[in-house]
Amino acid sequence: MGWKETVEPVLTRMPAVRRPEGHVPFKRKLAWTAGILVLYFFLTNIALLGLEVGEASDIFGEFRAVLAGEHGSLMQVGIGPIVTASIVLQLLGGANLLGLDTSDPRDQVLYQGLQKLLVIVMTALTALPMVFAGDFLPAQSALTLGGLTFTGNEIQWLLFTQIFIGGILILYMDEVVSKWGIGSGIGLFIVAGVSQGLVSGVLAWGDQGLIYSWIQIITGETVLGSFASGEALYTLFIADGGGQLLALMTTVLIFAVVVYAESVRVEIPLSHARVKGARGRFPVKLIYASVLPMILVRALQMNVQFIGQIVNSQWANMPGWLGVYSEAGQPVSGFFYYTAPIYAPGDWMWWTAGVTQEPWMVMVRIAVDLTFMVIGGAIFAIFWVETTNMGPEATARQIHNSGMQIPGFRQNVGVVEKVMERYIPQVTVIGGALVGILAVGANMLGTIGAVGGTGLLLAVSITYKLYEEIAEEQMMEMHPMMRQMFGKE
Amino acid sequence: MDKGQNTGGLMSSAGLVRYFDAEDQRAIRIDPKTVIAVGILLGVLVQVLTFVS
Repeated sequence: MGWKETVEPVLTRMPAVRRPEGHVPFKRKLAWTAGILVLYFFLTNIALLGLEVGEASDIFGEFRAVLAGEHGSLMQVGIGPIVTASIVLQLLGGANLLGLDTSDPRDQVLYQGLQKLLVIVMTALTALPMVFAGDFLPAQSALTLGGLTFTGNEIQWLLFTQIFIGGILILYMDEVVSKWGIGSGIGLFIVAGVSQGLVSGVLAWGDQGLIYSWIQIITGETVLGSFASGEALYTLFIADGGGQLLALMTTVLIFAVVVYAESVRVEIPLSHARVKGARGRFPVKLIYASVLPMILVRALQMNVQFIGQIVNSQWANMPGWLGVYSEAGQPVSGFFYYTAPIYAPGDWMWWTAGVTQEPWMVMVRIAVDLTFMVIGGAIFAIFWVETTNMGPEATARQIHNSGMQIPGFRQNVGVVEKVMERYIPQVTVIGGALVGILAVGANMLGTIGAVGGTGLLLAVSITYKLYEEIAEEQMMEMHPMMRQMFGKE
Repeated sequence: MDKGQNTGGLMSSAGLVRYFDAEDQRAIRIDPKTVIAVGILLGVLVQVLTFVS
């Protein structure tokens, strides 16, 4: 009797969205996806009932772009709980502690149930400290609904209930998109948030808006200063409310690099064992594990900062080595300062006025961030490949089952696996580390709309994947035979 | 054609949450329309209550 038998009755009964029977036409898929997206935007605009308006700072802070959702709305937790649950599953699965074989239907059911249960638990664990610890979601002192009057604690529970239901709803919205629509809901929400950030970064009528600040510069409202002393260049490239040229260049560069890197691949030639002349290629992409593992690394960093915020709000005389927080609630020294990722140029350019720390402290922080992202990126990429059946063994089996072989080698699963082992692990590690460097680099240079390097990387690569998927869908619409080839009914 | 990639119908693309084809008969099934309906109802309910309070 293992743990599987014990929990089976619970895990197999987790409510799931019904699967479509048969083929869903492309237009219907598009409609479901659009419908969920509209619902998501609608819910991000509904403010929580009983929330004191104003003051409160977003507990996710700079991670909001990656975790989607909206502070103070029903979508408060965003995809945070899903990501945290995924980290737990990745670590357990990657270390093979679960003992679940994802090619066995019974274990698949258990895996899905466990995943769902973990997300629900994590939603509660994320929502509880948000409402009850610190001042992240201050409750109103009194609330009257019809004849009922709620006070203090009751309003906090009311807030918690709303956030919790919102969090569960995000999980099911993702499931609807995954089963009935195109791509995944999580990807959709991240892209939605980042795109919103980018668009408002260009159009916003204020200091952070690109067009607005250029009008200010052209009309002479913003004083450039002299070019000789470099003051003008500083205004044009870096300064807040300046020309934002550096951010613009970084944003465009990230777009270009990601789209280019998507096409960098090692192609392993394949030929069909029986049909002569039928050839194919198996691509091992540079960004093989895609950018998604990056969310997990960032989420780990976020959780450290999250703990820091809570400790800070609960423990008045926290020792200095652990963390010193500014009035605005930002870590300025200690452990929580060094482990905080770099979000924007203002966090590390120590020659500017915004940085109060010593240069060596900033250096340590950059080094910690870079090390964490590069090593973490590589490790999570490896786990990701293993748990999503993209590893040498799983791909070799898939290639073998589709009747293909590598020309010049024996037709044998083991042989294909050997060849795959020469490429997949190396490419995965290099790709993971590269994405880590890109994310930190983009954050250091800043991006339009302050969406952050990770957010931008994610948005671009998800959109690219979505484009590929839509192309594939349309091909299947046109040639029903293709469905069989792609293994879909 | 990227053959080896999507075969088996196991993977939902690029998702943090993985859904398999296998389903248990005992599981509670939700219609996707129900999810959307619950979402809209929740939003409208909270908004209306906010106006009332």
